[in-house]
Amino acid sequence: MQRYQQVLRLFLQFLKFGCFTFGGGWSIVAQMQKLYVEEQHVLSSEELLDLTSVGRSLPGIMISNVSMLYGYRAAGLLGGIACVGGLVLPPILILSLITCFYTAFQSNLWVMAAMAGVRTAVVPIIISAIIGMVRGAFRFPPCIAIAVLTFSLYLFWNVNCVWLVVIGAVCGILLSEYYERKEGGADGTH
Amino acid sequence: MVLIELFWSFLKIGFTSFGGLSMIPLITSEMLSHGWMTASEVSDIVAIAEMTPGPLGLNCSTFAGIRTAGPLGAVVACLGVLTPTLTLCAVAAVFFNRFKNSRRMVQILTGVRPSCIGMVAGVIVSLSMTNYVQNGAVSLTSIAIGLVDLALLLKWKVSIPKVICLSAVLGLICFGVFQLP
Repeated sequence: MQRYQQVLRLFLQFLKFGCFTFGGGWSIVAQMQKLYVEEQHVLSSEELLDLTSVGRSLPGIMISNVSMLYGYRAAGLLGGIACVGGLVLPPILILSLITCFYTAFQSNLWVMAAMAGVRTAVVPIIISAIIGMVRGAFRFPPCIAIAVLTFSLYLFWNVNCVWLVVIGAVCGILLSEYYERKEGGADGTH
Repeated sequence: MVLIELFWSFLKIGFTSFGGLSMIPLITSEMLSHGWMTASEVSDIVAIAEMTPGPLGLNCSTFAGIRTAGPLGAVVACLGVLTPTLTLCAVAAVFFNRFKNSRRMVQILTGVRPSCIGMVAGVIVSLSMTNYVQNGAVSLTSIAIGLVDLALLLKWKVSIPKVICLSAVLGLICFGVFQLP
């Protein structure tokens, strides 16, 4: 019974997140950061970053993948499905309405003005999401170089996100092996 | 059956894309090859999908589904585009939870975390270049509203829904009432 309550709670939480999915899913990550990391402490910011990275590197819609990963972690497969369902319901309903009144919507100056306002909030929301995650993301000093590399590859060469995650994974293994050996050698245990 | 074709099309789109704008070329070719939409309708979808809440891929699916086969079409198209999440990602979730504390996984995440931070920094820059430009010119009004939002989020810890609603109101006042550039 308790599990079903937990699943229902997840569904309702993601239903609320879904109403404010501006900015391609990052606003959801920001809302998850606020609720689960800062308020409820059920997730660390590193773990949220991990879920985001894994969700980003799988095919399909990034934020529904992140929701599935979080939901599974919190309450198993049913939890994952509840999170995805809650997340996608509001956008589908809103967009169905908009599609019906599409022409009126598109030419309405007031709607456009409000939307232009909302667009200005997207970047600040992403910044607020990522600022909490920066701490703890850099285990060794050279990790900063990985971030600079993926930043440039993404922005200037349009490299696919999957490759960026693969590059990160390979660099992570190499760096960790190097530092673990170095530390092991210093302790005399290696 | 148009519903089965719709599902199949969006299943392909879901499995071969990695979210966001990378879906547009795939959606364009699927819609045009089936004759479900014209090229100008496709560009309308992108415009609508970008300014309404919801992930771009889901918005495109809903819009295309309704246009081709009504509400049922929307449901079918969305299920298609969500299939990777409900299958592949569900399997990944099982494995990720099992191995997340293994030594190798910790090593991998050591590199994946900074790479994700770099990627998001890239997203921030590329979005800034489109979201703070109105009619081809840098909009100081947009930047000012953005700075207010940032201060509210970081300094006063205002919740995200409130910030979004406030930005919409500021947009109405600045761009609607006063017609600021």
